[in-house]
Amino acid sequence: MKWSTDDIPLFVKEREYVDTAVLPLLPIDFGDGIRQSGAMTEFITVMSAEIEKQFRGRMLLVPSFTYLAQRDIKECRREVEEWIQEMKKEKMKHIILITADSSWKKVESELDGLLVWMPLVPLENMDTAYKKQVISEQIKQLLPLVMDKWKE
Amino acid sequence: MSDEQNHNVSRRQFLTYTLTGVGGFMAAGIILPMARFAIDPVLQAESEGDMKAVTDVSELTEEPQRFDFSYDQEDAWVTSETTETAYIYQSGDEVVALSSTCTHLGCTVSWATNEEYPDEFFCPCHGGRYEKDGTNIEGTPPTEPLHKYEVEVRDGTVYVGKAEPQV
Ligand code: FES
Repeated sequence: MKWSTDDIPLFVKEREYVDTAVLPLLPIDFGDGIRQSGAMTEFITVMSAEIEKQFRGRMLLVPSFTYLAQRDIKECRREVEEWIQEMKKEKMKHIILITADSSWKKVESELDGLLVWMPLVPLENMDTAYKKQVISEQIKQLLPLVMDKWKE
Repeated sequence: MSDEQNHNVSRRQFLTYTLTGVGGFMAAGIILPMARFAIDPVLQAESEGDMKAVTDVSELTEEPQRFDFSYDQEDAWVTSETTETAYIYQSGDEVVALSSTCTHLGCTVSWATNEEYPDEFFCPCHGGRYEKDGTNIEGTPPTEPLHKYEVEVRDGTVYVGKAEPQV
């Protein structure tokens, strides 16, 4: 379910069925890294929308956590941890963090959730049909990760 | 003292009037566009009734297969390309196209992906199950069958329209 006026009431009504939150992590860079930052945002946004579509009855797509790319990842982790604990307090059993920023891998073990790091696929210069194919390939790899998490 | 109070009251009254006035304006501003939104979906529903070509009949088997098709959807201020997934199969002379959207809470179901239930549609979210014709299996969360698409076969091509409830 999305963070929208259509879906949130549904979430509130059916929350016993919704035990998973997906939180995209997006680095923001205003300097030289701005292209990269834009590409990552686009890619992760598409991916998280696709996962939401597959599993919408059991998961809530949370608005992205954005942070300045040059910030210390440990600091970001502390902040994300706060989000996670808050979501857990509200009965979200599974937290899925999805990002293209590899620095999160350094703090993976300290995160109380499943970190899904996806290497950036630059969607620019791809025609629509190819783009779709690439995305559905990626999604196919991602689905089992989520379903395994549910088996815990 | 009482003078002062009078003064205050009249100021408050003034404020009340003004605010109501502004509020009134705002309400008018809000109602108008709402009326427009209320009309829009009706018009939209009509244009969505279009049939979309999905596959060749020769591709179909008795086994439900997955087909994706997309169209543009206008949702208030964004037009986005929406992709839907249908499971289509041949049942005697009839072509059946079922929606892949679980009728419980909307996850995507798939055919024969759960080893324990090889001849059923399965929903990974809360274990919803459906028979081949879309009938929901009792004891699992869904309370109605998978929706069924309007189907048309013209010159060997399968077209699907809107998915409608089976009950
Ligand atoms: S959404 Fe399919 S069983 Fe709940």
